[in-house]
Amino acid sequence: MANRPLSPHLQIWRWGPHMLVSILHRVSGDGLAIVGLAVLVWWLGALASGPEAYNAFQTVATSPFGYVVLVGLTWAFFTHMMSGLRHFVLDIGAGYELNANKIWSIASPILAILLTAAFWGFMLSKQGVI
Amino acid sequence: MGSGTSLGKVRGLGSSHAGAHHWLLQRFTAIGNVVLTIWLVTSIMLLPDLGYATVSGWISQPVPATAMILLVICTFWHARLGLQVLIEDYVENSGTKFGVIAALNLAVIGGGAFAIFSVARLALGGAA
Repeated sequence: MANRPLSPHLQIWRWGPHMLVSILHRVSGDGLAIVGLAVLVWWLGALASGPEAYNAFQTVATSPFGYVVLVGLTWAFFTHMMSGLRHFVLDIGAGYELNANKIWSIASPILAILLTAAFWGFMLSKQGVI
Repeated sequence: MGSGTSLGKVRGLGSSHAGAHHWLLQRFTAIGNVVLTIWLVTSIMLLPDLGYATVSGWISQPVPATAMILLVICTFWHARLGLQVLIEDYVENSGTKFGVIAALNLAVIGGGAFAIFSVARLALGGAA
């Protein structure tokens, strides 16, 4: 490992919402990449393998542990999507003014929680859906 | 690392010149992900139920099957790029880094191939 100077890390900065949304983006993205894609592969593989395999998937998915994972994944999905959309705006060079940056850093994760709640509210309001 | 001149110390430690390409691919796949994952979430919400018959019947149609295959390619590619950055940031030893990235490649290509094959099997009627 080359002896390059390291940039100051977490503890040296005063916390702000832009740091939280950046960390959430990485955590939710890597969570989706590892856990989310594994669930997607299992879901599609179970479908392709037939009713018995799909039944086994559903049994786990609708257990208390399964719901914790699925709710966590939908939260991670909406969080990553909102902070990702924020990144698109930052990529075109907009949204760097202190106030605008702060507002969207706070709004992204809150919107994500609201979308997660709306999704599950909708799903659970459908009778016998899962 | 040498103990020579200031220039000698930093020579060869510059960028790999592959960063912009990686950065752009991350964005291109992100655009695809926005479209395709919103399609998947909306579809899951609109399906009458999530039982085997309904879901397998839905996914075996041409448009959902195509969209699902595209979603698999796009999300796995995006995940591959994102996890690469995670590995590069936190795995310091270059040998270990090489090994972990090799394992990552095997996992995403293997997982992606299995997922695409599963959709193809459903769509082409090989499933029970």
